[in-house]
Amino acid sequence: MSSEQDHLKETDTEARFDFHKEQKAAVKSEKGLTEEVIRMISEDKDEPEWMLERRLRALKQYQAMPMPTDWPGQPDLSELDVEEIVPYIRPDVDKREGVDDWTELPEEIKDTFDKLGIPEAEKNALSGVGAQYESEIVYQNMQEQWEEKGVVFMNMDRAVKEHPEIVKEHFMTTCVPPSDNKFAALHGAVWSGGSFVYVPEDVTVEMPVQAYFRMNSEGMGQFEHTLIVAEPGSEVHYIEGCSAPKYGVHNLHSGGVEVFVKEDAHVQYSTVQNWSKNTFNLNTKRAIVEENGTMEWISGSMGSKATMLYPCSILKGRGATDTHITIAFAGEGQDIDTGAKVYHNAPDTKSTIESKSISKDGGRTNYRGLVHIADGAEGSSTAVECDALMFDNESTSDTMPYMEIEESKVDVAHEATVGKIGDEDIFYLQSRGLDDDDAKKMIVAGFIEPITEELPIEYAVELNRLIELEMEGSLG
Amino acid sequence: MSTQLHANLTEEQVRQISGELDEPEWMLETRLEALAALEELDMPKVIRTPGRDWTNLHELDFETLVDPLNWAEEKDQVGPDDVEVLPWADALAEHEELVREHFGSIVPPQENYLTALSTALFSTGTVVYVPEGVDAEDVTIRTEMNSKSLFNYTLVLTEESSSVTILERQSTGDADVEGERYYSGIVEIAAGENSYVQYGTLQNLSPETYGFSAKRGETDTYATLNWIEGNMGTQLTKTETSTVLAGDSSESQIVGAFFGTDEQHFDIDVKVWHRAEHTTADLVTRGVTDDEARSVYEGVQDVGRDAWDTSSYQRENTLMLSDESEADASPKLIINNHDTEASHSATVGQIDEEDLLYMTSRGVTPQLARNMLVEGFFVPVLEEVEVEEFREDLEDLIQARLRK
Repeated sequence: MSSEQDHLKETDTEARFDFHKEQKAAVKSEKGLTEEVIRMISEDKDEPEWMLERRLRALKQYQAMPMPTDWPGQPDLSELDVEEIVPYIRPDVDKREGVDDWTELPEEIKDTFDKLGIPEAEKNALSGVGAQYESEIVYQNMQEQWEEKGVVFMNMDRAVKEHPEIVKEHFMTTCVPPSDNKFAALHGAVWSGGSFVYVPEDVTVEMPVQAYFRMNSEGMGQFEHTLIVAEPGSEVHYIEGCSAPKYGVHNLHSGGVEVFVKEDAHVQYSTVQNWSKNTFNLNTKRAIVEENGTMEWISGSMGSKATMLYPCSILKGRGATDTHITIAFAGEGQDIDTGAKVYHNAPDTKSTIESKSISKDGGRTNYRGLVHIADGAEGSSTAVECDALMFDNESTSDTMPYMEIEESKVDVAHEATVGKIGDEDIFYLQSRGLDDDDAKKMIVAGFIEPITEELPIEYAVELNRLIELEMEGSLG
Repeated sequence: MSTQLHANLTEEQVRQISGELDEPEWMLETRLEALAALEELDMPKVIRTPGRDWTNLHELDFETLVDPLNWAEEKDQVGPDDVEVLPWADALAEHEELVREHFGSIVPPQENYLTALSTALFSTGTVVYVPEGVDAEDVTIRTEMNSKSLFNYTLVLTEESSSVTILERQSTGDADVEGERYYSGIVEIAAGENSYVQYGTLQNLSPETYGFSAKRGETDTYATLNWIEGNMGTQLTKTETSTVLAGDSSESQIVGAFFGTDEQHFDIDVKVWHRAEHTTADLVTRGVTDDEARSVYEGVQDVGRDAWDTSSYQRENTLMLSDESEADASPKLIINNHDTEASHSATVGQIDEEDLLYMTSRGVTPQLARNMLVEGFFVPVLEEVEVEEFREDLEDLIQARLRK
């Protein structure tokens, strides 16, 4: 095993995520959502007028929309009170756009990311890193070799000022308009931080770029925005990780992700989500894929109290391809409602969805999927496969796919299975000398292997380690 | 959201229907309560995805579709001697207590707007009572609808260790009726301990007709309840076929076939609730959509917390013959007990080009080849139909659709 894997293996993962630092805030908004708060955020960021207007319009849409309540089997959001959430905290750092050297960060923040192992990972395997603390990116770095080729990887607030044309065109316009759902509208009003990635035509960024989001304060909301524009023929792999310590009150994470995959471009978007178990994770992630483009979503959903997240690809150009690989793990008190959405809006488009879920100690997982094949999307095909593993009788696992097929020349297949861990399998492993716990861990590791295979090695190791911890019941 | 109350529905009409059937007071009360509840009840649930309802029942104008007092039908209700197959009025006269105990116990009269409308207005019905230990090969119920609207009700009760096969057919007669029509049918089956029930329906109502049906059964210990659901006719049909596996070691199979042409719309809802130990369910549906027809399929396997050692399977396949048709599907698994083996699958596709090429290269005309492949597509479902007469009827209807 190489040294970077050792590093991840040996760090106590629980201690890595579950700690919290006293960090002074430079600016902290009032609780709740008012026009004043929105204006304050925009002013503090010294934003152009058009962005403030977009925020205010999104706020109106947010106020007009009802909370989602009547989806079959949806997570309970009744404990979420957006009026009690602090939507904006700017940490007290010197450089607003983020420093490019870890040592320039205040000791508390640097220490936080050190513990999470982010600087270590950057040295070893990444093209660039953005690190967000509360509402703002505090560290941003991109290796020179990519900058020279015109690749842009910067914090979203800065992109608004430095790349206004690209941002104006793409920011919450066609991909995730605020009208899409209540939390997209909320996001549009209070968004802060996040990443902007621009890859010029025919440039391949060979190593992944990464952003890490850390929520540190009690009762806050984090609303980072990620905008990725991959020009024709380009290729990039974006990884996000996130964590927050435990608190007695609820946090809200409502990010927005928009990915534009142009002709023949290839974007892979990987997430390992490990929010603390008091966090409502209500995200909107979507990609628009042009001719022969490829979008890959890979996600591991471990943490949060309740998650409602269905990454979506709109296959807009002929021959566009989508892949979704997801794993969800719900332990005690967790409700992970996640899945995938794909709109086949052009001929010869292709999607595959592979979803695995594990529920344990009363946790609930749900695969909620929508595959829409529009009239005229002939020659399209989709294959959906969901497998659920249940540990005990307090847990719940549901599968709710929706398939809307308006075109006859297509190939659509959905399959799902649910089962418990096989007694025979455990017996077999025990008879080979493993104890019950190790046998279960080994079965789970085998069950999720198709997912971990797709992740860079360090993330795969982290995901495995997180699952092991969940199974030991040591993450509360 | 509540639905519009009919301006043309009155208590007086309900009293008249009840009076003509010579019903006891409690039955009239049940009807009047259902009538009164219409104002607050909503339409049956349909699937919603962003931007639309998959079936729009709210668009139907029940005020013009329903003509409460002018019902007309031809009905056959026959069965072997040792089974009682009784018209509604006779059943009330002979087995009032039994009817009172079971009526509305499986499909609650006020479950939704359409069940309540049915309860308030049903004017024809059948009660099938199978005494302990009796094996009844074939009970036949044929309903020919000869009026603007018709409300039908069927109750099946099987006692311990009995068995029965019931075939029900609905069609439209030649009666001269202007414009659109409405058929509503409710079926409740209480399958007693260790009894076996096969209940087949073949619906071939005219294209002017809108149809609604709720067929639901409950199984006692070791009981088996098998449904066959053939949907061919109507303009729009919303139908639910479901089993509550309430007794340990009980089983259910639901086999469905549909064939939509022109602008037909089928909303087919198949459900099984595993509520006891060692229960088994198998749901199999195959359908074809042609022209501008649309199919909506929802299948639910719901495994309750106490349903230990459950096996539950579901398969749905749709064949699309035309580009203007649409096939929507949502097979759902809801699992609350981990001692479960469950799976579901759904596919949508067109006729295999290679199969077609193979057949035409052997001299079969393209049209005949297509018809043969469609007939072949239904074979796995037809094989599950145990009664030959029923299977042949279904095959004939499929062939008639292909050759129209």
